[in-house]
Amino acid sequence: MWRRNRMLKELEEDIREHIERETQDNLERGMRPEEARHAAMRKFGNVTRVKEDVREAWGFVWLEQLLQDLRYGARMLRRSPGFTAVAVITLALGIGANTAIFSFLDAVLLRALPVAQQEQLVVFQWTAHAKPKFTGRSAYGDCALECELSGPFYETVRAQAKSFSGVAGFAGPLEMDLSGNGAASIAQGEYVSGDYFSTLGVKMMLGRPLGREDDSRSATPAIVLSYGYWQKAFGGDRAAIGRTVRLNNTPVVIAGVAEAGFNSLTPGKTEDFFLPLSLSDRVKSEWWGQPDRYRDPAAFWVLIVGRVKEGVSIAQAQEEASALFRNEMVHGAKPLLKEADEPAIKLAPAAQGLNGETRRIAPMLYVITVAVGLVLLIACANVAGLMLARAAKRQKEMAVRSALGAGRRRIVRQLLTESVLLSMLGGAVGVLVAFWGVQAITKLISSGFDEGFPYVVRLDWQVLAFTIGVTLATGILFGLAPARSGARAELTVGLKENELYVGRGGARAARRLRLGDALVMAQVALSVVVLTGAGLLVRTLHNLHELNPGFDTRNILLFGINPAIAGYKDEQSAQLYRDLREQFAALPGVASASYSEQALLSGGWSGFHVHLDGAPPNTNVSTAVLPVGLNFFPTMGIPVLAGRTFVPADFATASATNGAIKAAEEQGQAGNPTTGRVSQAQAAPIPVIVNEVFARKFFAKEDPIGRHIGNAEHEDEPAKGPQPGYSIVGWAGNTKYDDLRGELRPTMYLPLVENSAHFELRTAGNATALVKLVREVVSRADKNLPLFEVRTQTEQIEASLFQERVMTRLSSFFGLLALALACIGLYGLLSYDVARRTKEVGIRMALGAERNQVLVLVARRGIALVLVGAAAGIGAALGVTRFMASMLYDVRANDPTTIAGVAVLLGLVALAACWIPARRAMRTDPMVALRYE
Amino acid sequence: MSTKEEQGRIELLQGTLDLLILRTLLLGPRHGHAIAKTIELNSDEVLQVEQGSLYPALHRLIKRGWIAVEEGVSENNRRAKFYRLTGKGRRQLAVETNKWERLAGAIARILRPAE
Repeated sequence: MWRRNRMLKELEEDIREHIERETQDNLERGMRPEEARHAAMRKFGNVTRVKEDVREAWGFVWLEQLLQDLRYGARMLRRSPGFTAVAVITLALGIGANTAIFSFLDAVLLRALPVAQQEQLVVFQWTAHAKPKFTGRSAYGDCALECELSGPFYETVRAQAKSFSGVAGFAGPLEMDLSGNGAASIAQGEYVSGDYFSTLGVKMMLGRPLGREDDSRSATPAIVLSYGYWQKAFGGDRAAIGRTVRLNNTPVVIAGVAEAGFNSLTPGKTEDFFLPLSLSDRVKSEWWGQPDRYRDPAAFWVLIVGRVKEGVSIAQAQEEASALFRNEMVHGAKPLLKEADEPAIKLAPAAQGLNGETRRIAPMLYVITVAVGLVLLIACANVAGLMLARAAKRQKEMAVRSALGAGRRRIVRQLLTESVLLSMLGGAVGVLVAFWGVQAITKLISSGFDEGFPYVVRLDWQVLAFTIGVTLATGILFGLAPARSGARAELTVGLKENELYVGRGGARAARRLRLGDALVMAQVALSVVVLTGAGLLVRTLHNLHELNPGFDTRNILLFGINPAIAGYKDEQSAQLYRDLREQFAALPGVASASYSEQALLSGGWSGFHVHLDGAPPNTNVSTAVLPVGLNFFPTMGIPVLAGRTFVPADFATASATNGAIKAAEEQGQAGNPTTGRVSQAQAAPIPVIVNEVFARKFFAKEDPIGRHIGNAEHEDEPAKGPQPGYSIVGWAGNTKYDDLRGELRPTMYLPLVENSAHFELRTAGNATALVKLVREVVSRADKNLPLFEVRTQTEQIEASLFQERVMTRLSSFFGLLALALACIGLYGLLSYDVARRTKEVGIRMALGAERNQVLVLVARRGIALVLVGAAAGIGAALGVTRFMASMLYDVRANDPTTIAGVAVLLGLVALAACWIPARRAMRTDPMVALRYE
Repeated sequence: MSTKEEQGRIELLQGTLDLLILRTLLLGPRHGHAIAKTIELNSDEVLQVEQGSLYPALHRLIKRGWIAVEEGVSENNRRAKFYRLTGKGRRQLAVETNKWERLAGAIARILRPAE
């Protein structure tokens, strides 16, 4: 900058001196003084031109012109505040929405794992042609493929694998009863191996991490809190380090607090604290039957993540891990597979392999991204239309510029600068819109997550770079067409005072208007697409709401109690449930009470195999299973179509049978083969109730009541001990089990005699009011029993429909936004048209045209545009919506009712948009119009 | 370049003016006015450079690195900007001279074909 100014100043001096010298020479040649000076100046030439040429030689011109254009553009925008405001707001909405959605995409899909150097981390996934003979298997939602392995295998890898500089194991989170810090509460604990923190490279905010020494049976149990939980449950108290709390009645010491950014390795999960894997035998959780899960080579529940050593390729590491796995599966202490099953390990990069909650959110985000992209296109077309109209008004200015020597490219550059300036303004406001949008959407999505939204959505530099890119692209996109058409202004026509375009006169005008038409048609088409998508989602949500799940969902209070966490054994739990049920049923306001292993429509389901009597040996069928308590069917409003429901004696029978089976298993494990059958009285068939689907599928037209179903028979595992099977005592109506969308499964209801139950209370009035009473009843029974997942059945259903609700709201919002923009575009085009043709209209009316005819003349154009645009939009929608078919329920992707509805909506709104300019045309006073110049 | 066409003046192409400036500076550094006069003199007044067009040409040459500018004192004890040839410019002069001679020769051959 300064170099330039200095250079220009020096140039002035140089020129002056040059002319001085020439003047001197002229004087010496004998000219008179004024003549000498004049001759010198003439000889020099055009000083201004020289200065310009020098500046051009140095290339400053380009920058100067840019600044000039910017200043001029700003002035022009200030002079038409209405246009500027509308354009900026339109752009801000489009750019802001895209930025908001992109920052979600960034947080959910693109952001790195919260660990050091994640490229070296790999997660172990196993494959085989057959299923290994597990004793137990648990998945905690970390990855899509099989990534849970056994504790002993993890230790083998850690000890023997040379390709890794660190190997970490983890599992969870699991619910644990945490007491010793105020009232007992349920918290999420993640089991981790000793070298978890060191392998991942996670730092501590306070205290020390867990180490190898902590992960052993003989160590004093220690845990590390996550930052969020430390803030929430301990109030950020630094004195929490060193305190002892109890997990499921096992005392543990708090050793440290993890750094603030680290919640969990798998994206989207919240873990309150981390405890060593070796504690799994003491801190028993949920329904693990066996005492020592970690040591069992046939229990697959631990995820393994390794950091590959420098210089070792992933392929090499994979070979080594596969060999170890094969060895363990085929030749290990407990062989689980055969050589022919080809057990192998695949190493996937941790960032791709662990996708947790992302799988749930990603499809939603993709659909919304497309919708938002379309809205931005509509916004661009809208502003392009506005600029086109404005360019027509500036024809005279363009003509003058051309006459003064501006090249066509120069004019285009100037107009483009103006449009980029406009889009920059829109982008700046758009960032504000994005900010608000992110908060609104986060609130919307949070309701689907129990622990709050686990992703951190920030407007960071990546998002900002995206915004700037989109803004620039937008500016050029909508500015280009008007700029090029504006620059084509011909001199003579532009400089004339009046512009009379009668009918199709003026080739350029016709071309410009055709472009304007195309823009409006494009906007209409795109908004049809977005609206159709939104309409389909609205219908889906409606269908799901209207769906009858097979039971009465009104006024049911749900809550869970897990006595095993507080140390209860199965029989104690069963008795507790029975007692609590009676007490709940006696509460005022409770019509009836019951319990089941899982609440209906809570997202989970259990099942196992059974063998039908009369079927060939070793062939089993699979059925869903739900253990329930007394009074379940009346409480839930499920009709019992034949037979009876459970009575207390059924529970005794079930208890006894289970006891006998377990005793026989233990005897078998202890090495005493059971000889002869245990007496029938001890192991009677368990009474069960089946649903319609079960009855129809397995018993066809016959009456299932009284029939017997056998335990599953496996060819390679002959039955040890009693196999009493089940006896059908009743037949109930169908209900949905785990979610509304799934199909009805064949279901067998058993008497609940083991741990873990969710209670259902049918209340006379508002269900939530009873929660306090319920808590009192429970704490009177046992102070250490927390309630969890307290909610009503309707709330449960709403939670299960969270994805559909979010999608419906977002897509409807963007659909209506698109519609509004398209109609504004249509209105703008017709208004401009009317204003331009005022003279023509005046002449027509003066020549005798009726006002109605004028109305039709104007409206006709608008309606034609809408029809063509809508037709194109419907065609596009039919092609595009098939990609969302997986999100729809009971409505086809090309559902004609929805499309018709959208068309009608569009038609009505568009008609309104045409109406106003048409009426304005109608009101034209011919005298005024003809005088108008 | 010059848009005037007076008697005896011949229009110069842009590149040619650069060549002339380089050649003139071969004899030693000069200031702007002196360069203009030298060109006029040495061409027997046939080439009358519109002196103003000298300056854009000079700046172009500076930008390309073929000449350099320095402050100095002129013959009548006034401060002036002197332009001198750089090594790069010297080499470029040879290249340009060669090109010019080939061009001139080619045109001459066309105008006076060998008979």
